[in-house]
Amino acid sequence: MDLNELNRRVSAARADTEARGETFYPGPSRVHLASYPPRERWLDWVELDSKAWPERKEKRYTLVPTTCFNCESACGLLAYVDRDTLQVRKFEGNPEHPGSRGRNCAKGPATLNQVVDPDRILHPLRRAGPRGSGQWEQVSWDEALDDIAGRIRTAMEEDRHDEVMYHVGRPGEDGFTTRMLAAWGVDGHNSHTNVCSASARVGYNFWMGMDRPSPDHANADVILLVSSHLETGHYFNPHAQRVIEGKKNGAKLIVFDTRLSNTTTHADHWLATYPGSEPAVLLAVASWMIRERRYNRAFVERWWNWQEYMAEVHARPHATFEEFENALEEAYASYTFDFASAESGIPAAEIREVAEVVASAGTRLASHNWRSAGSGNLGGWQVARTLTFLNALLGALAVEGGTYPSGWNKYTPKPPRSPKQHPRRWNEILWPEEYPLAMHELSFLMPHLMRERGGYVDTYFTRVYNPVWTNPDGFSWVEMLTDAEKIGLHVAMTPTWNETAYFADYVLPMGHGSERHDLTSYEQYDGQFIAFRQPVLRTARERLGETITDTRDANPGEVWEENEFWIELTWRIDPDGSLGIREFFESVKRPGQKMTVDEYYGWIFEHSVPGLPEAAAREGLSPLEFMRRYGAFEVARKIGPVYEQPVPHDELDDVRVDDAGRVYTRAPVPPSPKAAGGNKFDPDADGRRRVGVKVGGDVLRGWPTPSGKLEFWSRTMAEWGWPEVATPTYLKSHVHRSNLDRDQMVLLSTFRVPIQIHTRSANAKWLDEIAHTNPLWIHPEDAGRLGVERTGDLVRVATEIGHFVVKAWITEGIRPGVVACSHHMGRWKPEGQPGQRMSMATVALGHEGDGWSLTQKAGGGPFRSEDPDTLRIWWTDVGVHQNLTHAVHPDPVSGMHCWHQAVRVSKAQPGDRFGDIAVDQTRAREVYRKWLDMTRPASRHSPDGTRRPYWMARPVRPERSAYDLPSAPTPEPEGAEV
Amino acid sequence: MGPRPPVEVLRGLAALSEAPASEHRAVAAALGLPDPPDGTAWADLFLFQLHPYASVYLGPEGMLGGVARDRIAGFWRAVGRTPPAEPDHLAALLGLYAGLLDEAEDSPEARGRLVHRSAQALLHEHLAPWIFPWLARVVDLAGPFHRAWAELLREALSEAAVAGGPDEPSVHLREAPPLPDPRREGGEAFLAGVLAPVRSGFLLTRADLARLAADLDLGLRAGERRYVLDHLLGQEPVPVLGALAGHARAAAESHAGDLWAPPAVVAFWSERARTAADLLDALARDGAAAEAAAGTLVAPGTPRDGERGAPGGTA
Repeated sequence: MDLNELNRRVSAARADTEARGETFYPGPSRVHLASYPPRERWLDWVELDSKAWPERKEKRYTLVPTTCFNCESACGLLAYVDRDTLQVRKFEGNPEHPGSRGRNCAKGPATLNQVVDPDRILHPLRRAGPRGSGQWEQVSWDEALDDIAGRIRTAMEEDRHDEVMYHVGRPGEDGFTTRMLAAWGVDGHNSHTNVCSASARVGYNFWMGMDRPSPDHANADVILLVSSHLETGHYFNPHAQRVIEGKKNGAKLIVFDTRLSNTTTHADHWLATYPGSEPAVLLAVASWMIRERRYNRAFVERWWNWQEYMAEVHARPHATFEEFENALEEAYASYTFDFASAESGIPAAEIREVAEVVASAGTRLASHNWRSAGSGNLGGWQVARTLTFLNALLGALAVEGGTYPSGWNKYTPKPPRSPKQHPRRWNEILWPEEYPLAMHELSFLMPHLMRERGGYVDTYFTRVYNPVWTNPDGFSWVEMLTDAEKIGLHVAMTPTWNETAYFADYVLPMGHGSERHDLTSYEQYDGQFIAFRQPVLRTARERLGETITDTRDANPGEVWEENEFWIELTWRIDPDGSLGIREFFESVKRPGQKMTVDEYYGWIFEHSVPGLPEAAAREGLSPLEFMRRYGAFEVARKIGPVYEQPVPHDELDDVRVDDAGRVYTRAPVPPSPKAAGGNKFDPDADGRRRVGVKVGGDVLRGWPTPSGKLEFWSRTMAEWGWPEVATPTYLKSHVHRSNLDRDQMVLLSTFRVPIQIHTRSANAKWLDEIAHTNPLWIHPEDAGRLGVERTGDLVRVATEIGHFVVKAWITEGIRPGVVACSHHMGRWKPEGQPGQRMSMATVALGHEGDGWSLTQKAGGGPFRSEDPDTLRIWWTDVGVHQNLTHAVHPDPVSGMHCWHQAVRVSKAQPGDRFGDIAVDQTRAREVYRKWLDMTRPASRHSPDGTRRPYWMARPVRPERSAYDLPSAPTPEPEGAEV
Repeated sequence: MGPRPPVEVLRGLAALSEAPASEHRAVAAALGLPDPPDGTAWADLFLFQLHPYASVYLGPEGMLGGVARDRIAGFWRAVGRTPPAEPDHLAALLGLYAGLLDEAEDSPEARGRLVHRSAQALLHEHLAPWIFPWLARVVDLAGPFHRAWAELLREALSEAAVAGGPDEPSVHLREAPPLPDPRREGGEAFLAGVLAPVRSGFLLTRADLARLAADLDLGLRAGERRYVLDHLLGQEPVPVLGALAGHARAAAESHAGDLWAPPAVVAFWSERARTAADLLDALARDGAAAEAAAGTLVAPGTPRDGERGAPGGTA
């Protein structure tokens, strides 16, 4: 065949393939030669031993992939396991991981420090004295399991399911634990989310019905970050590398950040906004785009629920789109550049310039907020809502270069033996009726709610979570955890010592990222992938011919693999199956026997991940072997606008379209390999399920919102007591200037440093050497005004409930009138307790009446261990634990703790010492009550007598009847006889 | 504007130089090639033997990056494109070439001519100067699939490369220094030069080194090529230099007989390999020079890791 004929043939094949919507040329996927060993050589990889230099000594490794557990980015790692010693020599990036693509931040390789940490917990420990006394005894796993399982079994037999609680910090997995709690029938899933990202989630959820953003930075023309996202934050490494790609392709970067962070140094436009004013700036941009008609009118007309807004808010059910546009312009007319300038301190001309840049993006605007301003402020959820407003105006949602919603860029496969039952009882402590619109548990209010409402938790698991240190108002946690009337048994599951574990009854050693199994999938680009975390020494030894059925045989000490632990515990709770729990942890292939982790994940990889069995077969591997070999698999890429997808004909049976255009069908839900979950919408009156939305005559998938469209106006918010904020608006923060006294400043307490983890890196020596303290950023003008002369001078920072003493760092990298203190560091161990000696201060806790104090007795310092580096520790200042002095600030809508603090900063007073903490618990309770009073409880505002909108997703969703509010007691008629 | 190369064939062949993907089977079928082999064969060929990057073959360093990659990145910018992370990867270059040809055809006539000239410049300046000697070695070393792939690629490129090509070689070749003489420039520079194709005129792969060691019954050390070669020279410098001279002479003959490459390219590579062969022969004949060529890691005559007898052996 001549070349011309061949050329025609290839062209035709390409056209045919692409016409089917498939990919003909897969695009570059090359291995960067300089960076990564090719995967074909991973089983037996030879490198020269750097320590033997200049001698050229060959080391033979087997390279085992896993997933980093240190932040939620969950980047791919490759463990270099020495084939001779069976020790991990180093961790590098896994180039097969679609999200991180072989790149890591410092925290990934530092996993090695955590593995060999001389102070880590290697054996199960049981309290041998009063709680918090520091007396521990080593116990066997059997003893611990039998004791814990016995309590839980008794609680279940006595129908006290809601007295079992699992409180998670870093989840790091998809589906295992929620499946387990569903099997147990326990409404006891408690997360950290309301001190983290709940605010942003609320903002996104009420627009899109999905609660996280997945910006397509690499293909954007304009990238808008309300955060220091290039260096820290959710998915920052996978996102940052794509932000840089976008910039290299010419994208403009706009950053809102009060601090001069590393991220702002990369920005084309840096807006150092006054804290809490971010929505005002975003709305000014939106208002200008609306006035100038610089938005995507076709998209807005097609996909916003503007008809519903006009009908409900303006009583114009038949309004035209043009009438809506006029109403929109009028509604946002007051958000001028001058208004935004007055609120934010940014010159109006600069905001206008940013508005031009945003409008120029067309559909290629990638935006992102996760914590930052969203998590700092009363009404912070409007940050994500006003940010998404811009994307929604431009049609820059779920299209190339825009921002995707999380659910379409994530893949959670269905597990074997999915429980069908739901908890029968509603957990009032976790989901109090004051916060019906909260996306997540009111976890940080737990001590207050337990105290006020007579709560009792019989078995309380803290799993890789450290509320005493992480949450605001930590002394309330200490009080709760030491009160046997509140907590029957506290089991701390943690790889390392932490401030919460000191008050536990059991401390159970769990694994780091290279010592556990987990399955993850994260929305990090426009694609869907799964990634596998695995105990690398187990896999290495299996490669070398051993058979290992219990990961404790391969992990350090008696550190257990968590899935195996839960399976074993469940079997001991329900040894004979009479509670109806054990069946969910029985082998599929060998009924009546325990399910193994190999079978659990093997089943998922074989049955629930499209394309994986075929990819594995091409390499002569089983799906499980493939995942153990490479650690990740990309299920799909370039998902595109799902909302525009037509609903297939066979899903349309006896269809009904309601007045709002929502389409209902009698066709059953087609089988799917994906795990069930997400939003749930009620069927129509005749039992048809909702399948899509009718737009322009077509039945399309639409958005998973109550209206099926993008919700500019949220009926849910309006009907549940918040009509005035049902559209994107600006709410004045609790630290708005008008809410501060003249001598108060704003404290930014949330920012992260790129090289620390919240609570598990205190003994990561490489990280500690780089960052081990948290001075107070203060502008020279403020320092001069307050008489703080030099960096390093001690200052006292007084909050609503107490104060802390910290060193000043005088810098122009912060706005005047605002101070900042990283929430990392300030780790501590009470005198007499074990702990992480590199970066924990030894402290004395004082408690008298309602007053608490913490005094540092010693900082970090050198110590002798098996690691000679521990004698080289040169730092002693390990920072200050400021969160202890923060009162709880639950946002009345989102339930999120609003982290920013109104503080008074002064020179240290006589007697003040570095690290001193003082807190007044009476005052802490008053502040809690003040914020609680801002709520609009379901019992007064629920439109349907339930506790919470049923459509909203919830972890371990209880059965429908549990949503009903308790019937109000019928008042006695006057004069009636009893 | 001369013959129009088969752009879709080039795109397909470019895709097949990337890491194996499930889509490659359909591409190969459309091109009439056998089913692609597994990843091991691809990795061995492209990651260990013959890296598909122009800079390795055109740069005086003989490595990824450097001045050759900078020049190529400059070309991307000159034609209004943002250089990708690896602007000199074969797939990137073929993709750019195909894209320019398509753009030329779709543009108004005057612009079309301009863009077509850019495509020709890319071919003559940055592809043809290395692709034909490189493909010849792929044909030598690869299994059936990649051999067929290489044969089709040189056929697809040849006509346009030969027609209308400049009389003088590209700037990469013109400015490439020759293989250094270790007697004047030292063993380090010599070793680096032997491994830089544009200086030596030949491509010395890991497979070549393994064969050379086997033929001479020498120990083959694991490591990068430079390390391997250094230790081969350290063991028996004269026979190794002689074998390298033979390799260079064979390469010169192969270049000279290359009917696919443009004449200026053929002339450059064959002349450079012949010159290298002469130098290597001369070094092999001169024992002291051979020691100098071998003296990179250790002083001449010093035993290495016991390879030449017990410590304190020959002085």
